[in-house]
Amino acid sequence: MKRLSLVFVMVGGLAHGLAAQGDVRARLVGRVSPDLLQHVVTLSDSARTLGLPDAPLVDKALEGAAKGVAPDRIALAVQGVFGQLNTAARVMRSTGAAPTSLEIEAGAFALGAGLTGDDVAQLTETADASHPTMAVLQVAGALAALGVPRAQTVGLVRAEVRSGLPLGDLTNLPAQVQAAAASGVPPDAAASGLERAAQAHAGQSVQPKGKAKGNPHLP
Amino acid sequence: MKNREWNDQIKQVLDGERELESLPPGLRREAEAARRLLLEAIDRQPVTLSPALDARIMARVRSRAVSRWPRAWRWLSAPTIPRWAMLVPVAAAALLVVLTRPNQQTDRPTQAQAVYVRFELYAPRASRVSLAGTFNRWDPAATPLVRIGKDGMWTVTVALPSGQHQYGFIVDGRNWVPDPAAPTVDDGFGRRNSVVSVNTNNGRIL
Repeated sequence: MKRLSLVFVMVGGLAHGLAAQGDVRARLVGRVSPDLLQHVVTLSDSARTLGLPDAPLVDKALEGAAKGVAPDRIALAVQGVFGQLNTAARVMRSTGAAPTSLEIEAGAFALGAGLTGDDVAQLTETADASHPTMAVLQVAGALAALGVPRAQTVGLVRAEVRSGLPLGDLTNLPAQVQAAAASGVPPDAAASGLERAAQAHAGQSVQPKGKAKGNPHLP
Repeated sequence: MKNREWNDQIKQVLDGERELESLPPGLRREAEAARRLLLEAIDRQPVTLSPALDARIMARVRSRAVSRWPRAWRWLSAPTIPRWAMLVPVAAAALLVVLTRPNQQTDRPTQAQAVYVRFELYAPRASRVSLAGTFNRWDPAATPLVRIGKDGMWTVTVALPSGQHQYGFIVDGRNWVPDPAAPTVDDGFGRRNSVVSVNTNNGRIL
């Protein structure tokens, strides 16, 4: 009986893997060349093995095909997306987090927008119950994509989360930077102003100096 | 020689327990005849079996053996617990397939959890404009924009689930144009993709 159970589990796993492959194939067939299709299927298998989402790989292949890009160049771009997903998942997991597919995609997006693995790790650690990882990484990626320098992006997002301001204020940051840019303010200057405002809010919400808690490790 | 009882003294000679010469002359001849018979029996040619015999025997053995598949099935299904319990792994395997059934939308929100996003492009000289992105499998024909009035503004509203979405406008079916109102990222092909991030938890669009 135990043998039969093992066989059923193996068959189930195999069926799952084949179905996943079939799904990737179904999305790509007729849109990309057979060689590229096989390349993406292979990468998707690897992605699933590593616990990474495979949708971005398929999307990148479809995008390249829609834009009329040569298959070998599409393959390179898909490989690049795989690398970003893998890096994002690795650095996020290194903080002790167990990121979902969407969070890994958000991390990969932030990497693609110009942040580093360390930045993504820091931002993952910054996230809290009121400021979910996905939103934090989305905002950081959007700010970087708008031209806010990398270090400043991380500083602004961390300051915003630590200030205790609501999530809506955090997710509004890119729109504020965009609005400032539309009126002629460079992205870095706009981000500096927003960071100062967040720090000022954080300063208002700390306890009065006289009532600050002492170090519990000191007598 | 049939059923013949040998004298005990002759048996002793044949067994090597006694010398032939010690027998009386009458018994000695009889003992010599008995020894000759015995040696003839020992010196007989070895029996040679027909080569076909081996093949016939093995064919019979194989014909009686259980064939491979029934034997494998018996190995797999040898019940160590009640037979109804076979349903447990069957159900578990079925559940495993259903629960882990790969679906690109597995952990993505349904359309009911989507946020409606309006896309606009000012393209007064365009005869047609469409929108392609990760939300419509980059299909240039899937999401056409509609021209509003006569001032060259094109627009479309799309329901988007949570997550980052990269996209671009396609003007007149060939020119890819990024959204001037959205941040952009490198598309890996030497161009820029526009980005819209949707968070359905609070309905925000970045």
